[in-house]
Amino acid sequence: MIGPLYPQGLLNPEYNLLIGFLIGIGFGFLLEAAGFTNTRKLAGVFYGYDATVIKVFFTAAVTALLGLFIMHNMGIIDVTLTFYPKTFWIATLIGGAIMGLGFIIGGFCPGTSLSAAATGKIDAWVFIGGVMLGIFGFIFTYESLWEKLRGMGKMGKVDIAQWLGIREGIFIFLFVLLSVASFYVFQKWQDAWKNKLSKEDIDELGL
Amino acid sequence: MKKLDKIIIGILLLGGFVSIFLNDMLPYPHIKGPEELVYAVNQEGRYISTDEVAKMIMEKDPSLLLIDIRSPQEYEKFTLEGAMNIPADSLMNPANRDYLDQDVYTTVLFSNGSSAADEAWLMLKSYGYEGNKVMKGGLNEWYRTILKPIKPADEELTAELEKQYLFRKGAQIYFTGAQIIGNSAPKKASKPSKPIVKRKKKEVSGGCG
Repeated sequence: MIGPLYPQGLLNPEYNLLIGFLIGIGFGFLLEAAGFTNTRKLAGVFYGYDATVIKVFFTAAVTALLGLFIMHNMGIIDVTLTFYPKTFWIATLIGGAIMGLGFIIGGFCPGTSLSAAATGKIDAWVFIGGVMLGIFGFIFTYESLWEKLRGMGKMGKVDIAQWLGIREGIFIFLFVLLSVASFYVFQKWQDAWKNKLSKEDIDELGL
Repeated sequence: MKKLDKIIIGILLLGGFVSIFLNDMLPYPHIKGPEELVYAVNQEGRYISTDEVAKMIMEKDPSLLLIDIRSPQEYEKFTLEGAMNIPADSLMNPANRDYLDQDVYTTVLFSNGSSAADEAWLMLKSYGYEGNKVMKGGLNEWYRTILKPIKPADEELTAELEKQYLFRKGAQIYFTGAQIIGNSAPKKASKPSKPIVKRKKKEVSGGCG
């Protein structure tokens, strides 16, 4: 758990692990229930025939954002006790590109590959093998290849609103507008695809 | 678009609209109400004596982080060996949080007397900053006890006081370069480079999605 109970010492590490375990079960269950263990669903974002992933992730982000922000203002939860990482924009950009490539080639994200492996999909097990190879490959070549890259574009802990010089509330409102607009655009895009595809294609893609 | 989609989007838009009118997210003050304030003020544990500080400096204790909260001008004139300067008005500057809220170093705040450092300590405490101490008596006490220690009168000289006096005499030689007899002007303390402090509170690292 990243916050706020654990950093305040209100939970001991064992309970923290237990809560993590329970949240993990819920997360995996819902990933499967939403069909995210289907590789076509994830790849669909990139081809444009399925906007589910975008919608789910944006909804989750916006819900968490609004919930935390409003509850902080009401004095319920101290957001400053939660964790957010430092920004290294060049390293993140390159890492994001690699991850995106992995997404579209493999059809899983690290989380969904584990869920899919649990449902017995062989391609997911192969994907996890690839993840492991990547991790160990990174570890053993870290000093020679990656050490410099890792610190590139260092910006410290950045808050976008502060960086832009606007109030946090305004930024949040703009972000909500942006995500709602993206729902709309992706939905249109998906509908356009559906009209183009034949019945068999739709069944094949699991739409 | 389905009806549920519309409801969800409506709620999100409403939340976003409400957010416009809310304040930025600042840390909560951790001391609420007069009782907690009084309790915090009465905590004697925040003090560290000049003798202890002198001992730590002389032993080159790597866990000691001295923070001079006086103005930069005063800091330029005289400060303790290895001290860094964070003037009282910039204590809450987020850039200084790494020094003032961590549990790696023993952070010792000092000013000329005790009260300014005490106030600074209380302010930091009220925002939940932990791990700070106040040098009791400040630099005035430092001068009285370490730079110019006074020999206790013979009639009240106990073994303990004598030990303390001998320690202070030794510290005086260390800090001023004074001979055992006679005094000389205090040696100008060396200005340190900023120590690199890595904040190491119970900060949990995040995972991935």
